[in-house]
Amino acid sequence: MLEVDGLEVAYGDLQVVWGVSFKVSESSIVAILGPNGAGKTTTLLALMGLLPVKAGSASFKNNSLIGVPTHQMVNLGLVMIPEERAAFSSLTVEENLELGAYTPRARPRQRETMAEVWETFPRLAERRSQKAGTLSGGERQMLAIGKALMARPELLILDEPSLGLAPIVVEKSFNIITEIRDRGVSVLMVEQHLEMALQVADHAYILEMGSMVTDGTSSELAADPRVREAYLSL
Amino acid sequence: MTQLILQSVVSGLLVGGMYGLVALGLALAFGVLKVLNVAHGELLMLGGYASFFAFTFWGIDPFLSMPVVFIAMFAFGAILYLTLFRYVTRTEIHTRIKNSLLISFGLVLVLQSMAVRFFTADERTISTAYSSDAFTIGLVRVPVVRLAGLAVAVIAALFLEWLLSSTRFGRALRATSEDWTRAALTGVDVKRVYLVAFAISAALAAVAGSLISIGYSVSPNIGLGWTLKALIVVVLAGLGSMRGIIVAGLFLGLMESLAAVWLGGQYREVAALVLFLVVLSFRPQGFFGRAHA
Repeated sequence: MLEVDGLEVAYGDLQVVWGVSFKVSESSIVAILGPNGAGKTTTLLALMGLLPVKAGSASFKNNSLIGVPTHQMVNLGLVMIPEERAAFSSLTVEENLELGAYTPRARPRQRETMAEVWETFPRLAERRSQKAGTLSGGERQMLAIGKALMARPELLILDEPSLGLAPIVVEKSFNIITEIRDRGVSVLMVEQHLEMALQVADHAYILEMGSMVTDGTSSELAADPRVREAYLSL
Repeated sequence: MTQLILQSVVSGLLVGGMYGLVALGLALAFGVLKVLNVAHGELLMLGGYASFFAFTFWGIDPFLSMPVVFIAMFAFGAILYLTLFRYVTRTEIHTRIKNSLLISFGLVLVLQSMAVRFFTADERTISTAYSSDAFTIGLVRVPVVRLAGLAVAVIAALFLEWLLSSTRFGRALRATSEDWTRAALTGVDVKRVYLVAFAISAALAAVAGSLISIGYSVSPNIGLGWTLKALIVVVLAGLGSMRGIIVAGLFLGLMESLAAVWLGGQYREVAALVLFLVVLSFRPQGFFGRAHA
């Protein structure tokens, strides 16, 4: 459903993404893995129209994404949770979720979706009128995911979902990500933690210095001696 | 002496309401777009002239022309955003202030010169039948039109608070002012939010201008003085609370007025600037603002 081909991104004269191609198919979890500074976040931001694309193409459900404003992508069902978590700290938990259903696509089903989110994250229901800024790291993560679900995504993009979270919270997040995939939502995530990401991903790409070096199913990559040597401390 | 002090407390609060009203629009544009529009006072000046001419040529009462002025300046604000400030908002957040200062200072010069050319440099005031009406409470005289100005300021602040806290669009405004990138990723059309916020800001300036053309006076060069007052109010209040802006406006008006009575008229402006420096040094986030990391 998402196809990216030969994507190149530069900050002024400094090019950081060199012809990156990848695909996400229906109801699957795809991970883009690689060390800090490999260009993972840059790739996502360019895809979402927040950084200028120098060359290449990207399409979602056969609509080209190049030049499409970010908010319209959200309305197509392409929803990204940024690294710094998506919630707005000056809004309450409930206001954040309401805002999550801002697009015309999600608005008519706001009530129904919110009931689902309260059910998935009972913890958030307890804190519904609390400002998001007062939540713990794990709760903020749940709110970020809940808020993204409010937009009724078909493809959910997560930038470093494990960043800054305790291992137990990371595990919980990955369980939820799998659950979201099982409900029929595709997931694209970017991660530095290969071991955990390979456990949940169906397919993974390895990005280094702005280029894809290899890709394969999670079990292929986990068995690949080069990957094991470079990234997995096995 | 008691009467003098009471009278200056009341006059101070009444002019302070105007300071607050002018500051509301400035704070909205600054909070949401991160642009500092020093031509805010010139938009006020245009609003004042619009009401003045509507009254002079067609005899339309300024309180009746105010909604029309609001809508006209909403449209003019939208045009200014599309032709000038849109380009500022394309730059990085932290360079927007200096870029907007350059652009809006240019706008100050253009609007002032055009006002002198087309409206002449004369000072203008609307004199309606009720302009000099006042009532007396105890020893204190309260001019009716200035009291109405204060009422409009309070209504405008409550309206903005309602908009921000209780509407879908208001939540989008708050999200955008916190982080426009994340707002866009939430599905908010950030450019449209910017356009509307700037247009409301201009329209509020114009309403203040209408009130000033009745209770006070307008001339082509009144803008910068009001912008400066509004800027001091925004620093006093901090961003985040519209009610706080009105309270800070009242406080500034009161302090100026008391300084004028106790220290002498020439200390009015000094009091305002000293207050500005003290708050900047000891509580840079303002009385009602949140400290940001």
